[in-house]
Amino acid sequence: MTALLAIAIREYASNFRTSLGWIVIALYLLLSGFWVAFATINPGEPASLRVFFSISQWLLLIVAPAISMRLVSEELRTGTIEPLMAAPISEWQAIPAKYLGALAFFITMLAPTLLYVGVLELVADPDYGPLLAGYAGLILVGMLYLAVGLVISTFTQSQVVALLATFFFFIALHILGTQIADRASPRIGAALRYASLAPRIGDFAKGVVELRHVVFFVAWSCFAIAVGVISLESRRWR
Amino acid sequence: MIVARDVHKSFGHVRAVRGVSFDIPTGQVVGILGPNGAGKSTTIRMLVGAMPPTSGSISVDNLDCVDHSRRVRQRLGYLPENNPIYPEMRVTEYLRFRAALYGITAKHRRAAVARVIERCWLTDMRSRRAGQLSKGYRQRLGLAASLIHNPPVLVLDEPTTGLDPSQIAETRRLVRELSGQRTMLIVSHILPEVEKTCDRILVFAGGTIRADGSPETLINQAAGPARIIVELKTNDRERARSVIASAPGVASAMAIDTDGQWTRVEATANNNADPREPIAGACAQANLAIRELTRERPSLERLYLRITEAVADELRTQPGADS
Repeated sequence: MTALLAIAIREYASNFRTSLGWIVIALYLLLSGFWVAFATINPGEPASLRVFFSISQWLLLIVAPAISMRLVSEELRTGTIEPLMAAPISEWQAIPAKYLGALAFFITMLAPTLLYVGVLELVADPDYGPLLAGYAGLILVGMLYLAVGLVISTFTQSQVVALLATFFFFIALHILGTQIADRASPRIGAALRYASLAPRIGDFAKGVVELRHVVFFVAWSCFAIAVGVISLESRRWR
Repeated sequence: MIVARDVHKSFGHVRAVRGVSFDIPTGQVVGILGPNGAGKSTTIRMLVGAMPPTSGSISVDNLDCVDHSRRVRQRLGYLPENNPIYPEMRVTEYLRFRAALYGITAKHRRAAVARVIERCWLTDMRSRRAGQLSKGYRQRLGLAASLIHNPPVLVLDEPTTGLDPSQIAETRRLVRELSGQRTMLIVSHILPEVEKTCDRILVFAGGTIRADGSPETLINQAAGPARIIVELKTNDRERARSVIASAPGVASAMAIDTDGQWTRVEATANNNADPREPIAGACAQANLAIRELTRERPSLERLYLRITEAVADELRTQPGADS
């Protein structure tokens, strides 16, 4: 537990020690802020952050991989993985710890967006149910993006490759789920629609929290983390 | 303490380690020498649990490095080659992090960090970022990190690569100080370093151990008959040669150079004889002045070169058996 916490904290803190962490936060807030300012705060519009939540799922496609790309790739490239894994810790500690560090940074990045809620409160009377659902959705999506990004970062020493591979993985998933699913055979189509994230994220943005969506994101994130553990562990078998 | 039994390691068709066995008792400081690609680092990396042997076993305190990897790692302090450290972390912060990885509780962490900072002369640098340290200090930080849990075994992979001569001397002094009760394995291809620091030397080449013994034993093994260099005041090369060759204890002599009135002769002694005194006597009798009379000290370098050249020849004659 001591080791797990130490790795998670180191991972979290390292985001603030490099310009990358700050750039990621700044870009996300800037872009999401634009949408809130120009598409949400309009007279006559409903007092919700629906636009913010929908646009965020697209922004996260690039923001989350930018957070996860370093996780293992950088350690592989600089060689710090060697002293790390020479310590008496297991991959089942190291990988979940790194994931928690990244997730904590991700949630920290979302925290300033509560300001949008404050602004909404000032100018209107928002309904807090959909807002909570929206944030739950963002965090769940972030969890999955980061977990897949983490797995991919165990495969390569190059952060750029990790970033692009994660990005294209989710883009492909989206295209398969929306464009290809209807043209595929019924069984494959159903599988593709199951894997498609957009409808699930859409539900959260609308304020609907469905248990099956929650289970989907949590379960697949756990699965991805387990794959990450095995991928790192396999270095010891070679 | 550390026992390797017929360890083999292959990467695809490349056989990096081919049947390595050794026993290292507690407290011994062992130098592992060998050219690049000799299998030194591979052996070390199997010891620290980074990869399993293809066959054979390595154990520390009777704990197998594969089956009890974590318990073995708890007993090892390891300084990897190139000493990778997170550059953004401060010295004390990094050491606290390493302490936590070894399960040292928050209560004892401060004391452990203070101990290694003092031990490795890092006091002035404690709040520096690792990325801003000079190479010498970085190396000390790596050593401090490997000592944080006070391990009974210390494994140092090329501890002085990339350091300047004064940093090398300093690191070597620190390593010698650290040895004390500890079992130490020092991988190096710098001969004087190993000769000065270690009780015992293993010479690796072509994936096997080619020589094993104390530095003195190995040097004597390598020495063969001594070489003697004499410079005599004469420009008659043949006369110079025959005077030296006539001295008792000299097996053969050869004039190698003449510079004005001085001739340089290289002689080989009979077995272990030291014929310097007879040579001086013979020269005095022949009325020839001497300005140099040296017996070449046998060195580890000779053994090392002999072994590595022999292995290189072997590999040339066995195509495909790359190491």
